[in-house]
Amino acid sequence: MLVHLQGPWTPLIGRLALNQIPYDNPVIVGAFIFSVAAAAVFAGGVTYTGRWEYLWRNWLTTVDHKKIGIMYILVGMVMLFRGFIDAAMIRTQQVMAVGPQSAGHLGALHGYMPPYHFDQVYSAHGAIMLLFAVTPILVGLMNIIVPLQIGARDMAYPYLNAVGLWLTTVGAALVMLSLFVGDFSHAGWVGLTPLTELPYSPGVGVDYWIWAIQISSVGTTLGAINLIATIVKMRAPGMIWSRLPVFTWTAMATNIIGLTAFPVLAATLFLLTLDRYLGTHFFTAGMGGNIMLYTDLFWVWGHPEVYFLVLPAFGILSEIIPTFSEKPLFGYTAMVFASLIIAGASWMVWLHHFFTMGAGPLVNAYFSIATMLVGIPTGVKVFNWAFTMYRARMRFDTPMLWAVGALFLLLIGGLTGMMLAVPAIDFQVHNSVFVIAHFHSMVLLIAFAIMGAISYWFPKVFGFKLDERLGKRVFWYWVVASIMVFVPMYTLGFMGMTRRLDYISHPSWLPLIVLEEIGIGLYWVALYYQVKQIYVSVRDRRKYRAGPDAWWTTRSLEWMTHSPVPFYNFAVTPVVHARDEWAWRKEQGLTSLRPDRYQDIHMPKNTPVPLILGALSFALGFGLVWRIWWLSALSITAIVIVLIVRSFDSNTDYVIPAAEVERMERQGSGASGTTDTGRYPADHTAGKRRFRAARPQNR
Amino acid sequence: MTPKVLAIRRAPATSARSLGANRKLRHGQIFRPAGLALLCFALLTGCSTHSLSLFHPKGPIAATELHMMIIDAVIMLGIIIPTALLVTWFLWRYRASTSRGSYDPNWSHSTTIEVVVWSVPLMVVAVLGYYSYKGVYEVNPYHPTVIARKADGAPIEVDVIATDWQWLFIYPKQHIATIDELVIPAHTRVQFHLTSAAVTNSFFIPELVGQIYVMPGMPTEQAMMVSDPGTYRGFSAALSGPGFSWMQFQTRAVTERKFARWVAHLQNSPRHLTFPAFDQLARPTINVHQTPQYYSHVQSGLFDHVIEEVRMGKVFTTPMAMTAHM
Amino acid sequence: MGLPKIKIADLDAETLWNDGHRTIDVAASDTTVLWDSSHHEHDAISTRTFGFWLYMLSDAMILAALFTAYAVLRHNYAGAPTAAQIVHPGYAFRETLLVFSSVLAFGLTMSALKQGSRAGVINGIVVSFLIGAAFLGMEFHEFSGLISQGITPERSGFLSVYYAIVLVHGLHMVFGLLWMAVMVVQIMRQGFTDNVVYRLLNLKIFWQFQAVIWVCVFTVVYL
Ligand code: HEA
Ligand code: HEA
Ligand code: CUA
Ligand SMILES: [Cu+2]
Repeated sequence: MLVHLQGPWTPLIGRLALNQIPYDNPVIVGAFIFSVAAAAVFAGGVTYTGRWEYLWRNWLTTVDHKKIGIMYILVGMVMLFRGFIDAAMIRTQQVMAVGPQSAGHLGALHGYMPPYHFDQVYSAHGAIMLLFAVTPILVGLMNIIVPLQIGARDMAYPYLNAVGLWLTTVGAALVMLSLFVGDFSHAGWVGLTPLTELPYSPGVGVDYWIWAIQISSVGTTLGAINLIATIVKMRAPGMIWSRLPVFTWTAMATNIIGLTAFPVLAATLFLLTLDRYLGTHFFTAGMGGNIMLYTDLFWVWGHPEVYFLVLPAFGILSEIIPTFSEKPLFGYTAMVFASLIIAGASWMVWLHHFFTMGAGPLVNAYFSIATMLVGIPTGVKVFNWAFTMYRARMRFDTPMLWAVGALFLLLIGGLTGMMLAVPAIDFQVHNSVFVIAHFHSMVLLIAFAIMGAISYWFPKVFGFKLDERLGKRVFWYWVVASIMVFVPMYTLGFMGMTRRLDYISHPSWLPLIVLEEIGIGLYWVALYYQVKQIYVSVRDRRKYRAGPDAWWTTRSLEWMTHSPVPFYNFAVTPVVHARDEWAWRKEQGLTSLRPDRYQDIHMPKNTPVPLILGALSFALGFGLVWRIWWLSALSITAIVIVLIVRSFDSNTDYVIPAAEVERMERQGSGASGTTDTGRYPADHTAGKRRFRAARPQNR
Repeated sequence: MTPKVLAIRRAPATSARSLGANRKLRHGQIFRPAGLALLCFALLTGCSTHSLSLFHPKGPIAATELHMMIIDAVIMLGIIIPTALLVTWFLWRYRASTSRGSYDPNWSHSTTIEVVVWSVPLMVVAVLGYYSYKGVYEVNPYHPTVIARKADGAPIEVDVIATDWQWLFIYPKQHIATIDELVIPAHTRVQFHLTSAAVTNSFFIPELVGQIYVMPGMPTEQAMMVSDPGTYRGFSAALSGPGFSWMQFQTRAVTERKFARWVAHLQNSPRHLTFPAFDQLARPTINVHQTPQYYSHVQSGLFDHVIEEVRMGKVFTTPMAMTAHM
Repeated sequence: MGLPKIKIADLDAETLWNDGHRTIDVAASDTTVLWDSSHHEHDAISTRTFGFWLYMLSDAMILAALFTAYAVLRHNYAGAPTAAQIVHPGYAFRETLLVFSSVLAFGLTMSALKQGSRAGVINGIVVSFLIGAAFLGMEFHEFSGLISQGITPERSGFLSVYYAIVLVHGLHMVFGLLWMAVMVVQIMRQGFTDNVVYRLLNLKIFWQFQAVIWVCVFTVVYL
């Protein structure tokens, strides 16, 4: 029943062969040397400082939701960097390949990449950015913040949480591996059939794409289960639904999408896998297959997926804007319902990605109007943020800058989205760079929100702030770079420039394309200052130290414990009395963090099992990509055995006695029993002096 | 740089009206200033107006689509710009570093505002939805009402087959076929039937007609009419593999007489197109310079034959050599 | 340490769903309780069961996608045998009976669990296991027959989806049997600890869910 393959296959190493390693391509060899060097520096550093045990004990085997969140974010950041390199490669190819006369290098007809290689770059860029950069970062943020915001000790299932992390990491690792061993999919991040069927994608690229996404999406689904259960089951006393912070609400909405949409993707990829491995006919053009079935199923997931990403970003804005406006969020109830409506409606609009497929007018009209309806709750959100700013007292610290930037991006992306939603317009701009510009406005909104969230919650997690001056510089470089890259793209869309072009036949487009390339240069500058900001802030971390309430005007529960947050989160679970509990306590003058008495704390124990499962899944993915059947069978058996063995381990928790908690609270991170609300630490006053006079005296 | 004057003379609303194809297009006049503003904005970032192909429709369908775009953009800008201004104003006025704003630390609810922010977008969507609904019928690829109204005389029929990675145009009535060149008479309804021998593509001639997918194993349709003779760029707008960027063709819209002469000329072409000949030409090929080819005596039923074969499982496999380490 | 052994009698659906968050509403003027010193633990079993319900929902979405595929491809015979030629409702009906008896047996297992009877539970599981295995045997027989006649999934869209949908259900059944086997060992070694009890509860949900899916398969595919 196995399909006939082009090229050799041996039982021992499957399709793998030495010539699958592109050692003759200088770009890839360079990337390989860079990666190996980075890994060597890291490993050397750990060895030199003798930190392997620390790494193992505190990170690799941890089940602490904050550390898992941090690792999610780190994975996401590395992949964000990789995605950016891809973006730079795309733009460089396009700027070099304009006009029939343009030169070719490294064996390419134009530019420096032949089409098949170029196609892999943007396919990897799209898949990485959406699934292995932004998704892990957002999941990581939710992991860190949601339990804190609802006053929980940990996630509902700490062990499962670690499994989710490692599965996501395996997906990312497979994508990275595809760069050096074999190739990646060349069929766009959407992988439409029949292009991804075996006859038209005979190599292993599409298989890498399938298994990387498949494995990591299992992780995402597990994460969704975990977050929903956490929100439903682990809230502190008094944290009733109508008091839930809006970020937690959006996490809820997002994970409802995740829980229901990702399985559809899993099923779709599974059927495509059967086509490619067993020669079935689900999505082939002939033999009773149906290529549109794939398109439908993919977008049934794909559209909710983009809202899966944007909702937490909305949640982040809903946290940052009130804090820096020194006011409660305007229209809490409307915000909550808008999130849930967006999540629900995201299921009913998928066909707008292929209006041009030739469905009947009524079908197109329905999906057009349904799509536009999503603009209404989104608009409500925009207006509510705006009215949060009304009669506010706004400070423009770095997080607020990112939030405001995101708000404007949403307006631009929304405007163009509403144009795409009209079939008669979409017929002209579908698959053009106008679409690229539309969704980069939207995904940059998410990126902005992420950058804002990181600078906002960084002091909570690490106990010191990131340098503000450099942070603002990064922001402005991002703004200018994004304008330079994506505004010309709208114009090029009107000029009829298609997306995914390896070679650009119109010499007259060159000036705009050059402009975009300059934008990429500015992103590099931004990246430089970003790295510098992190370096400077870590170096001078004493100077940047922050108390529990790092921004002085915060409102929700996570600011009510020490910074950095102790591994048990709250020494004693707080009782919640108001929607913005921390703001409420500050108003009442109840800012002491010291409870009347301490109690025993139950904590889950560290375990290496999730890491082992991850390693085995990696072997499984690798075996399946290269069709090394023995390796696949072996690793899947091992996975089952590990799962069973683990289920016999009933000794998974431990208790910290109350006295010990008290001791840690007194001398550990929380040296100060009370917070320093209202009293600016001396070294923070400099930048704030101008408006300090206008503040009311907090108790 | 083209002088701005030229840009204004060729402004979209004007050219749309000059077609006179559709009474509805007069709406364009209302939106004309805004359309110009949009164009100017594009000009600020662009260079040559000639390249803004979407703003130079040369047929009723493309014109209607442009018209739709202007309506939608103007309505949306009518709400987006005020919103942006509102936000900007708040940011300015209520910044902490001035004492001008009247700070109200607890104000977070207003039923009036809630009602307004839900209902205004709803009304806007209702208007846009109406236009969208109308537009869907006007440019419906199977039966575009903007052309149907005008169509007199028999249409020219063209069967389009996308291969990896060329375009084959068959004129079934004339028994001729071309590769990567489409020649049609202006002012005549052109009726396309489209399918693909390999993977999905999207058939697109920006100045004349919007896109329609070209899919293996099934036919789609498109109709169009050209109002100005000339040469227009057509291409595939959907990724179809390594040769995708080169999958372009010239569309030459000529007068009836020239078209008839061209057909007669081609009918003498020495190369014939039979089913086996098709199998030869449909093998994966990147036609780097889009060099046209011409065929006569096209075996009748070729279009249906290709669909049937694909349905029976025929594929034009991409050889590994075209992918490995390219 | 050890988590408190739970009382089996409490395990009715009510308590599972409404472990309830105590809503403490204290006006600021009253003596305000700021920290929760009542030392309550979140009910581990109900949290676990809730998570499993969520998992079942995601599994249902996978099957929904497969059924969609079935609806689209069901008449795409491409010259290969049609549904009418390969599907035997009578045979499938007997399979249905097996699935239901297995679920019934597992239901009896759960009442034995309420009584805290180890032997009852183990016997119940063994019976459901055997019936489930018989079902899989019938399925194996059916498909090996098809394959030996050369009616393989790669011959048509319909056959592809037919195999996929029935065998995905079958795979779930295999997984359930494996789970049962593990549970028998765990009960023998650990007794009714929290962990064992929540796993049995989840297994019950899982097993019943497979019956529901089978009913869908039976009505959509076989009838
Ligand atoms: C979340 C999604 C996301 C994000 C954030 C981006 C970000 C960017 N994208 Fe991408 N893009 C996609 C999703 C995304 N993209 C998708 C889905 C496609 C379609 C693919 C397809 O066709 O199939 C696409 C396609 C795409 C194209 C192809 C156009 C074409 O088809 O012709 C281009 C070309 O310019 C492009 C450019 C960029 C650029 C310049 C950025 C910039 O904004 C990037 C800015 C990022 C940085 C500057 C990195 C900063 C790094 C850090 C902060 C990390 C620091 C960490 C350490 C130091 C450890 N994108
Ligand atoms: C996070 C990501 C994100 C978000 C939030 C959105 C939001 C929206 N998107 Fe976008 N979209 C993508 C990511 C996203 N999109 C991606 C990745 C693709 C391409 C995939 C690919 O092909 O590779 C895409 C493609 C895409 C298409 C298909 C284009 C094509 O391929 O031809 C369409 C068509 O309808 C569309 C529409 C919309 C609409 C109407 C919204 C709306 O939700 C926007 C709503 C927002 C507003 C409207 C602004 C704020 C509102 C107001 C100020 C109030 C006033 C508003 C009204 C009166 C309505 N998008
Ligand atoms: Cu054919 Cu869609
Ligand atoms: Cu969408």
